[in-house]
Amino acid sequence: MRTAAALLALVLALPDGRNASPEGEWRAALDIAGGELRFGVRIDRRGSEWRGELCNGSRCQTFSAVRPAGDSVVLEMADYAATITARLAGDSLSGAYRNVGNRGPRVIPFRASRGRWPASRGPERLLGRWDAMWIGDFGTSPRVIELRNGEAGLEGTIISNTGDYGHFAGGVRGDSFALAHFDGSYVYMLTGALGGGGGTPDTLRGIFHAGLRTQTPWIAVRSSGAAHLKAVTENTRADTAQPFRFSFPDLDGRVVTERDPRFRGKVVVVDVFGTWCPTCHDAAPELVRLHRKYHERGLEIVGLAYEVSGDTAVDRRQVRRYREKFGIPFTLLLAGVNDTEAAAATLPQLQGFTSFPTTIFLGRDGKVRRIHAGFYGPATGAQHAKQVRDWEREVEGLLREESRDTGGSG
Amino acid sequence: MIARRLPAAILAATALIAPLRAQAPPPDITRERAAFAEWLSEAPNSPLAAVAQQPIGPGITLGPPGADVPLAGVVEHRVSERGGAVSLHGPDGGRVLPAGRPVALGSFTVMSGGVPGRRVLTVFGPDRREKAAEYYDHDPTLVFVGPLSPPGQPGRVRLLALDGIETEALEAGTVTVPIDGRAVRLHVRRIPTGMEDESELEIFFRDDTNGAGTYPAGRFVSLVPAGDGRYRLDFNRARNPFCAYSSAFACPAPWRGNAIGAKVEAGERYSGGGLSVPPGAGEER
Repeated sequence: MRTAAALLALVLALPDGRNASPEGEWRAALDIAGGELRFGVRIDRRGSEWRGELCNGSRCQTFSAVRPAGDSVVLEMADYAATITARLAGDSLSGAYRNVGNRGPRVIPFRASRGRWPASRGPERLLGRWDAMWIGDFGTSPRVIELRNGEAGLEGTIISNTGDYGHFAGGVRGDSFALAHFDGSYVYMLTGALGGGGGTPDTLRGIFHAGLRTQTPWIAVRSSGAAHLKAVTENTRADTAQPFRFSFPDLDGRVVTERDPRFRGKVVVVDVFGTWCPTCHDAAPELVRLHRKYHERGLEIVGLAYEVSGDTAVDRRQVRRYREKFGIPFTLLLAGVNDTEAAAATLPQLQGFTSFPTTIFLGRDGKVRRIHAGFYGPATGAQHAKQVRDWEREVEGLLREESRDTGGSG
Repeated sequence: MIARRLPAAILAATALIAPLRAQAPPPDITRERAAFAEWLSEAPNSPLAAVAQQPIGPGITLGPPGADVPLAGVVEHRVSERGGAVSLHGPDGGRVLPAGRPVALGSFTVMSGGVPGRRVLTVFGPDRREKAAEYYDHDPTLVFVGPLSPPGQPGRVRLLALDGIETEALEAGTVTVPIDGRAVRLHVRRIPTGMEDESELEIFFRDDTNGAGTYPAGRFVSLVPAGDGRYRLDFNRARNPFCAYSSAFACPAPWRGNAIGAKVEAGERYSGGGLSVPPGAGEER
């Protein structure tokens, strides 16, 4: 009898939400015009400390803050000045994702129910590399779509001439699929079907959804192996006659230049990044790996952060958080707040520097050997693997070069 | 022609009820308006806080009284664009201004936007005007769903978006809607939002309420995909261009052919009065 009463009390307590907690796993979705963009959310509590993760399939990122408030919870993504605010009612969350827009707030309805999206594997005939054309209002533009099965079911990525769209994950039903990528800033969904719209069985057709309601139709055929995309821009317009110069404060405010003893006679990789840049987040773990693998043999990496707040304290906090998030062991400098009396332009030796990230490889003599714009994230599969191999080859080649100037006057 | 969204029976019922009691907007519109109101009063880049908007061109200076954009308490800074990338240089060095992200400069906020090669800088101040968006009562008879007909003459067109920034839009076609018993054809253009890969189908239109209840220059309304190749046009979501909120913004030129010869009493209102613009005057040629 007492048990029954207790059960009844529990049942009665649930709908009003007082006893409910946002803790646990959630099947989350953004309601965009073209359908339901699915992703996972996990919220944990250790003592009084809350934390949470946003997952596209098996690929997760940590929320910068999780703040329960009354019957609501706020999930913050500080890197993108974005939040998810949702009300908890029993076993569901509903609210909105928002970030600062330019013509009004960018708001997309959000909801979640308890549990995990079921993993569904794609049939063999969907998997592999597809040469796609995005069909715009006037003309087409090439993309490559890669589909594969991962631990959370069908996953993949989309690659354009300038880089990739990150890791996509989702579900399959027969020969149709819907894959999503939501990282707090980019809101993308790729839907498609084999042979859809009267095509041949070797044709994929679908819609690429961006944001709340941009829809671009696409069509793809199996990759023939021939190059479908143009090569990533290799920016070679740099002054290679002189050692590459920089002079910026580190996170403790001490100015560091290329003449610092830590760089003398070393092969140096300069990573121009910003904590607001999703592709930079993709590149960071690879740079950490590169550092771990080659540091002993003479590789140094220096990250130059271009931040946006304009407030040194805020920028510094943001970059520190980035350093902790990726466990970055190498030097990070705040390039956006140059306190030296150096030249007005922060990197005068680079001409036409438009991409974040930009990776600059310097030989032991400090001179620019290679500049790479953009970064193919792990979600690009083969492209990523190739880029990692290229970078390793580049670093190994530079490490083998004789260090003629170990005393280094710079 | 785009059909009225509501079945005839519901429509008849609404017509009976409408004169008795003002229609409450549906919850999604209420939410959108609440989010917009909050954004207007809190966002660092709210149009109510705007003090200047200027093409960056070969470079502009900010700060002292003689600068292109004088800003009290700000030492001289220079904004320039190279290959689409905008940077801000001052005595403390330089920093990149990513498009569409507000960046603090003293007590001001700056934000770059527009297309590469023709970037525009908008400057927002620490104070903002007290002004709330006002709306007509909800009118469910001004919601339409139907197809988008392809444009007679495809092509690109340079125009000012809602935020006063010049952008390159695409002719997207036309929609035809029944208003006041007449079939009205409206031109639709696809306008980039400034977020990568994102764009909106927009209609900039004039109607007989302009200068007499609504903003004299006209209003924007979006065409929203409704599935099966059809689109929803909801005049209850018509919005003022940002020039209605601050003269820091330039007003878009009216789009030729988009003057509705009837009153569209739905969506955002304007209580600032008329500028006696005769209908049809000032249209682009």
